[in-house]
Amino acid sequence: MNSLIKLEVSRALRNRKFLFFSVIYPAGLFLLIAGGSDGHDKIDGTGLTLPTYMMVSMASFGALTAVLMGNSERIAKERESGWVRQLRLTTLPGRGYVLAKTASAAVVSLPSIVVVFVVAAAVKDVRLDAGQWLGLTGAIWAGSLVFAALGVALGYLASGDAVRPITMIIYFGLSMLGGLWMPTTTFPQWLQDIAEWLPTHAYASLGRAIEESRAPHAQDLTVLAVSFVLFAGGAAWLYRKDTLKA
Amino acid sequence: MVRTADTARHPALTATMVAMTTTAAPATTPVVGFDQVTKTYGDVRAVDGLSLRLYPGETVALLGPNGAGKSTTLDLLLGLKPADGGTVSLFGTSPREAIVAGRVGAMLQSGGLMDGVTVAELVKLSCSLHPRPYPVSDVLARAGIAAIADRKVDKLSGGQAQRVRFALATAGDSDLIILDEPTTGMDVSARQAFWATMREQADQGRTVLFATHYLEEADAIADRVLVLHRGRLLADGTAAEIKAKAGDRRVSFDLEGAIDETALRGLPFLTSIDVSGQTVRIQSSDADATVHGLYGLGVYPRNLEVAGLGLEQAFVAITAAEEAKQS
Repeated sequence: MNSLIKLEVSRALRNRKFLFFSVIYPAGLFLLIAGGSDGHDKIDGTGLTLPTYMMVSMASFGALTAVLMGNSERIAKERESGWVRQLRLTTLPGRGYVLAKTASAAVVSLPSIVVVFVVAAAVKDVRLDAGQWLGLTGAIWAGSLVFAALGVALGYLASGDAVRPITMIIYFGLSMLGGLWMPTTTFPQWLQDIAEWLPTHAYASLGRAIEESRAPHAQDLTVLAVSFVLFAGGAAWLYRKDTLKA
Repeated sequence: MVRTADTARHPALTATMVAMTTTAAPATTPVVGFDQVTKTYGDVRAVDGLSLRLYPGETVALLGPNGAGKSTTLDLLLGLKPADGGTVSLFGTSPREAIVAGRVGAMLQSGGLMDGVTVAELVKLSCSLHPRPYPVSDVLARAGIAAIADRKVDKLSGGQAQRVRFALATAGDSDLIILDEPTTGMDVSARQAFWATMREQADQGRTVLFATHYLEEADAIADRVLVLHRGRLLADGTAAEIKAKAGDRRVSFDLEGAIDETALRGLPFLTSIDVSGQTVRIQSSDADATVHGLYGLGVYPRNLEVAGLGLEQAFVAITAAEEAKQS
């Protein structure tokens, strides 16, 4: 299985378009949004400045891009091409393929998180304790598993031409409504009420709790845990269905 | 690739392979065991009560027209699909166990390749997933893809992709090689080269099972031919036996005036006749004798044509013969 992970990782690292969107793009977007701010005004309802706030948003967004986009389209395509079938004729255990996909997505998502942090610290003088930096990296990285599971589920749910638009809608919907691009406090109240139940919102708020040195909200942890169970369960169910059909 | 150890393991191999017929069923565990296997898609019985056994060292062709159930049979055999009824075993175990033990190498028609990687990387992956792998360079060389080892998988021609699939199926020391229409997309010379490579595999004592819809391929390569039609095993024998069964020829001609069908039915070696308008179509197991008899009737056939049956018609001929036998 390690050999498949290795090959998946080196393929991902060779794919410049994918690397650009998941590693460079979030950091670029961070500069675009936070670049003009003076770093003193606090975002409504938080004790965080815009750069600090957006750093978590964009790191989360980058990780989301890497795991969601990386998994869903590849899996759908490789299911269709028969590569998944071919792998079933090897000693690779049944879930090995999905695990390798998730692991390789995680390898790409880590730099996308770190690059945002480095840019934020270097350009916008975001300062945190060493423990906070580590905790933040760990939390965002681990939290991305929720969306990796969603990516796998989508890859087994949709196929061919349908997978890209479906993934895009979910990706942009989750990013925007979850407040990764702009604070949800700028939304009308009814939209805020919806947004706070989205896993992306919970995901970013987890990171912000670490920045503010406070315990994360129980609601956010619950939303993430329930989402993970739903996505992973859905992925497992769809995977089994696909195996019987193939 | 030299496999001295294996030659020692099968000392009488060459002799057995020559002498091997369907009746030579040694008391060893069959490589492949199908027992009353059924698979249905909606109303279609893709595989219908199929029972068969393959024994070590056999080179077997699974022959049938498109839609005969060849691919489904191979899928069931490899455990890619569950059977609706009956049992499938490989080496006395479940297909999955046999695969995990590295005893089976398979190349499927529907088996895709991972894109964005090179041929060598993919073969290396396949080797590393096999419990008894061969060196990557050997696998590449044997499949005839050493020259394109650095090429990206998504940039290959159809024939090259088939060779890569073959390499994946032969990455390690497996006992059974399964090939589903392996020469699809290859030109004639590539086809010949491919079968030479495959014969090497068989000569090393492996059991080889390949699906094809070319009678000629089955004839040239296999020492046992299984004919599949509508999910059932129609015939099981040597290529020569199958060819004799499907060896009918088609004789067609036009006659002027009233046609005496009764007289035509009395022609020697005639197996079937169809008269429509002035055109007569006859199937004969000995076309020479039938045509000779035709002239003996004192008629003047025009536009006389004698042709071999296509495989499709050969199957119909075999089916008809089987049904006649049963009733």
